[in-house]
Amino acid sequence: MSNRRHAYLYLAPGAALVTLFLVGPMVALIYLGMTRWVGVGTPEFVGFANYRQLVEDPSFRQAVGNTIKWAAVGVFIHTPLCLLVALILARQPRFWKFFRTVFFLPSVISTTAIAFLWYFILHVDLGMLNKTLEVVGLGSLTRAWLFDPSTALISTQLPFIIYIGFGMVLLMTQISTIPAEVYEAAVLDGASTLRQELSITIPLIRRGIALQCLFVIAYALRAFEYPFIMTSGGPGDRTTNLSFYIYRQMMTANQYGLAAAAGVVTLVLGAAMVAAVFVFLNRAERA
Amino acid sequence: MIGRLFRWVVLIGFTVVTIVPFLWLVMSSFKTNAEIFAGPFELPSKWSLDNYTSALDAHPILVFLRNSFVIAAFSALVTIAASLLASYALLHKFVLSRLAYLYLMFGILLPVNAFITPIFFLVRWSGLYNSVWGVGLVYAGIFFPTGFLIIKVYVDTIPHELLEAARIDGASYHAIFRRIVVPLSVPGVVTAGIFLMMLAWNELLFASILTQDESSQTVQVGVRYFLTTYAAQYPQAFAATVMAIVPPVLVYVFLSNRVIAGMTAGSVK
Repeated sequence: MSNRRHAYLYLAPGAALVTLFLVGPMVALIYLGMTRWVGVGTPEFVGFANYRQLVEDPSFRQAVGNTIKWAAVGVFIHTPLCLLVALILARQPRFWKFFRTVFFLPSVISTTAIAFLWYFILHVDLGMLNKTLEVVGLGSLTRAWLFDPSTALISTQLPFIIYIGFGMVLLMTQISTIPAEVYEAAVLDGASTLRQELSITIPLIRRGIALQCLFVIAYALRAFEYPFIMTSGGPGDRTTNLSFYIYRQMMTANQYGLAAAAGVVTLVLGAAMVAAVFVFLNRAERA
Repeated sequence: MIGRLFRWVVLIGFTVVTIVPFLWLVMSSFKTNAEIFAGPFELPSKWSLDNYTSALDAHPILVFLRNSFVIAAFSALVTIAASLLASYALLHKFVLSRLAYLYLMFGILLPVNAFITPIFFLVRWSGLYNSVWGVGLVYAGIFFPTGFLIIKVYVDTIPHELLEAARIDGASYHAIFRRIVVPLSVPGVVTAGIFLMMLAWNELLFASILTQDESSQTVQVGVRYFLTTYAAQYPQAFAATVMAIVPPVLVYVFLSNRVIAGMTAGSVK
């Protein structure tokens, strides 16, 4: 048997995994999205009726909007915070390794446990946040953070925003590839640290920043634990996102066709946001 | 001067918001219900493990932990084995090797949560519903591109001369894989193994739709029982949350550099 034949044999297990759990499900998803099905019997082909129904469903529209807000919060608040801390730690101030280890800690803890923890922190009666506000005399600010429509969504996003460890390490790795000589001229010119970061470091790690944005967008489409555990999507649908919407259509409404159609919308939305990142990166490369 | 001050404010601020919630959680897990509703920062009146023992009595947390471990180890093993085999096959260029690579990497950025409907029925039809092996196989599949990316980087660093020399010595295709590729990939296997086990350990959505009872539910799924069925039992819920957090944190405390390297290995390119 030739090496090439062997090669196909060695590729088979990986190809089988990808086919069974990624490519196959994607094809099935597109088909199921055009059927009406409650899980038993044969799926009934209905064309694009599910998509029409989704568009008319206020819960679904809210879920799409909230998913976009998750991505926006990730790109415009979370990522700049990651960058800020990465820039500070990359200059290796005292105890930088300690800080890096501490900041990365939440990344090894399950999102489920973090969601639980923050459910308790934001709890109206026993929560650390309200208790602290009372102690420092800001009792008027206390509220049921997760049940108040004006604060529910941002409250479920809060742990995601402030736990910057993963993005920080990703960007630090990128910064560490910049040779020290690059900064020499700037230092001789007397450029401030801030100036150096803005006109040397950030432009040089633009690809790393784009990569971090891709990760954050991928996460926004995947985010499930926070609404599931902290709010069950409520109040109303204030915290329902696409992942949670699909779960609910499937597990509580048994609307498998509708759930699949929402899955297809998730894929399309993801592709659009990824494309947007590449467009911006391209523009930055040319500038 | 202002810059330095700003730097320390940022670093200490993030340290506080990272550490204090966890300290509060651990402290609360030793408190009685009344103490939890009293002051947030007062120490518990006595440090007893009552909450922990009653949490363990209320729900089979140890079984959940075992399921999580079996699923994490099994899925990491399958992904790593398949990744090693495929990376070796792709060391030699052939007609469709580029296409094969792209196919295997397909899905690295896919929002896999969108696939819960088809995967749910796939698992049910295959008879692996409510089984640790079903969940493990699904994880092996959806995390395969990530594991493959990490492993391939290591396999690709094996010098071609080494493989060539072995071949001239008469070693077969399979022997080269067993005697050269696998041993030299051990660091990559460890890195990928840590990362994949953490991913599997921490996953919730697939674990909750593919399982039904304690024979296969993971700790992430099980911990939710404390919120739904024991709404008033906050001390137990705190203790259960701590128990769910402890295993990965212990691994992290002892291997923090390796864990950080492992979890970000797929992103350095």
